[in-house]
Amino acid sequence: MTAMGSLRIAVFVLGQAGLASAALALERPAEPPADPLKSPAWGTIYGRYFKDQKVVFDDRVKVIAPANAENPLDVPVQVSADGLDGVEEMVVVADLNPIQKIVSYEPLRALPSLAFRFKVEQSTPIRAAARTHDGVWHLGGVWLSAAGGGCTTPSYASGDAVWQTRLNEVSGRLWPSADAKTQRLRLRLIHPMDTGLANGIPAFYIDRILLSDAKGEALARVHSYEPISENPVFSFDLKGSGPVRVSGGDIQGNKFSAEIKP
Amino acid sequence: MVRNSAGTSAAQVGCRALISMVLATSATAAVAAPVTDAMIANDQNTPNDVLTVGMGYSGQRFSSSTKINSDNIDDLVPAWSFSFGGEKQRGQETQALVNDGKIFVTGSYSRIWALDQKTGQKIWSYEHRLPEGIVPCCDVVNRGAALYDNLVIFGTLDAKLVALNADTGKVVWTETIDDFKGGYSYTAAPLIVKGKLITGVSGGEFGVVGRVEARDAKTGKMVWSRPTVEGHMGYLNGKENGISGKLNATWPGDLWKTGGAATWLGCTYGADTNELYCGTGNPSPWNAFTRPGDNLYSTSTVAINADTGKIEWSYQGTPNDHWDFDGVNEFITFDMKKDGKTVKAGAKADRNGFFYVLNRENGKLLGASPFVTKQTWASGVDLKTGRPIETNNRPGDPGKGEKGSSVFAAPSFLGGKNWMPMAYSGQTGLFYVPANEWGMDIWNEPITYKKGAAYLGAGFTIKPLYEDYIGALRAMDPATGKIVWEYKNPAPLWGGVMTTAGNLVFTGTPEGFLKAFDAKTGKELWKFQTGSGVVGQPTTWEMDGEQYVGVASGWGGAVPLWGGEVAKKVKDISQGGSFWVFKLHKSGKAAVAQK
Repeated sequence: MTAMGSLRIAVFVLGQAGLASAALALERPAEPPADPLKSPAWGTIYGRYFKDQKVVFDDRVKVIAPANAENPLDVPVQVSADGLDGVEEMVVVADLNPIQKIVSYEPLRALPSLAFRFKVEQSTPIRAAARTHDGVWHLGGVWLSAAGGGCTTPSYASGDAVWQTRLNEVSGRLWPSADAKTQRLRLRLIHPMDTGLANGIPAFYIDRILLSDAKGEALARVHSYEPISENPVFSFDLKGSGPVRVSGGDIQGNKFSAEIKP
Repeated sequence: MVRNSAGTSAAQVGCRALISMVLATSATAAVAAPVTDAMIANDQNTPNDVLTVGMGYSGQRFSSSTKINSDNIDDLVPAWSFSFGGEKQRGQETQALVNDGKIFVTGSYSRIWALDQKTGQKIWSYEHRLPEGIVPCCDVVNRGAALYDNLVIFGTLDAKLVALNADTGKVVWTETIDDFKGGYSYTAAPLIVKGKLITGVSGGEFGVVGRVEARDAKTGKMVWSRPTVEGHMGYLNGKENGISGKLNATWPGDLWKTGGAATWLGCTYGADTNELYCGTGNPSPWNAFTRPGDNLYSTSTVAINADTGKIEWSYQGTPNDHWDFDGVNEFITFDMKKDGKTVKAGAKADRNGFFYVLNRENGKLLGASPFVTKQTWASGVDLKTGRPIETNNRPGDPGKGEKGSSVFAAPSFLGGKNWMPMAYSGQTGLFYVPANEWGMDIWNEPITYKKGAAYLGAGFTIKPLYEDYIGALRAMDPATGKIVWEYKNPAPLWGGVMTTAGNLVFTGTPEGFLKAFDAKTGKELWKFQTGSGVVGQPTTWEMDGEQYVGVASGWGGAVPLWGGEVAKKVKDISQGGSFWVFKLHKSGKAAVAQK
């Protein structure tokens, strides 16, 4: 009994000490937690996107990507945070890309899962970070091997005039799940998605996509950045069923909107 | 952690209230002070900013600043220079705008930069993604932007308008003027009048239909549209607003449908008349035998009511134009003192070589005198009828043959004066006209319209008139039509002119100099070699008690593309692309002491 009592006290004291050190940590620049991917750029990534925020590495956040990028201009990636409740935002970064942030995703009425294709400049970790409503970022990731050059190579569109007649063309398809509670949307847009890093070709990319239902209520929101592949392809798992409205635009004010019917 | 806009943590605000208030004030100042209609209307009287093309609604390009003047201009030295970069070094015809610590400069290939007014450092840039197959006739130029609210608005070579946040360079709205595949493009600087963005169109060599349009500057939504070719319908708030002129009155058949009269330099504005004064280009095609009649409203100055988009008067310099005397030149409003009376006037130095003075209230012709040494096509202008007295100098009718007979005509189709704006000083009462002395052989060829293809029906080659000079900067007295002084330049002048209350006239030369002249005598007082030809529009502003002069340098424009024999003369000019800023020299010690 006494042992139990003293143990309780010990726990209490530890708790106090814990609070004190947490308070101290606020005074000093926060140290990033150790990176399981051992990325040379983790300190930078942490400072840029997660500084002063709570970060945990969490196996529930998964990044599925090929071990080797067959085509550095078009690497398929799927990120998901199944089993995490209340995901408000997902951010995907490639540590060693010249432009690290690939996409940020708000799964308002969608599952916390997103598939897309991106351009890779060299072998790099790809991380997905899912922010839950308590403000904690849950991180997962994998290393991707790549011969590279994807971000600084001119887009196909820059050598072919066809893009301008099809710019911001939207196509897509919906597949209901077996239980009809969710549906998968695959979306394809026509856009050069130029990074601005290829010589003489200014940055030109889609930076926002909004999915909404037939009543106009938002289902999910995408903020996309330069590394997303030319003619972007996205897959979403949306709650509910029925037609989905797609709208958005690029950084030069060109807009698109379409409706995808089941 | 909750942070306020000044970056102080919320916990600190309580004990550092004073500091955070100070920080908050400076944070507010960092957001652009919105540009209002009142500020634009008063632009000419506020030396600390340049808010409009033409340095004010009148387009006079006159600054009241006297800190730099004809007595101290020897001390004018570069303050900084900004390179436009890239491999896109073509003609830089822009006029900079200055407001709230930033300088906004546009460049070739539809680019724009915001620069720090103090250091010249780039704050943001926007490079428009241009499609293949744009068809600007006369180089990939841009002549400047417009400021309104917190927006900076400019047009692109693929005939779009882009409004950017002045602080961030992010796109706020974009609108398409017309289909670039049909020959439309846009190169002029837009003008803001009472919250409306006033624009024209480029593409007169491709059979477009000229028009002036007014959009809500904050949203880009169309308010009115006024075609400048007879027979086309105008619109106001989405409703029909009457056709321009009377169908087939001065155009035969259906030629008016591709009639040109492009409004490719935009307009000036008379606040007292509420009229926009817009120059219109050549009728299409160049071969005039296809379109007998005056071909209204081509080669004219058209006065349009700024609220309703209705034409109130027009004056045509070259009826049934046969020489590409594209009368798009700027109409500068001014008050003319003549015979003890003050007349509300406006003046225009036309491509056709005449310097016209009109009553701006009714378009009545008050004077027309040559500002070039040779005009073969007309011996004068009948002041009663307002029509030119022609000399039978039209090229021959090709009929169904391949080529009509050729004639020599002066000025050449590049004009006694081209796009480059002149300036007017109320102080000296003189206009400063950048003129060129050249003629051309011109002949006609059969032509049919094809969408997006050049629609000329003419062949031509330009010839200089004199061995020793082509360009001539001329000071004209509008009351007498007399040339008071002139400066001769070997290469053709292709840059804008500015004049100041410091008794100065500035302009650039293709040889690479920015030059300053005594406004009264024309004596060359100062020059600086910018490294490439200057075809930009100089402007001036004051900051922290000092006066600055800025100009874009970068050779290009129509001369190297269309100049015939003249193109050969200018082929060795280096390309460039930069913005130069000058101020009076201060010794290091004096500069430190002032700080």
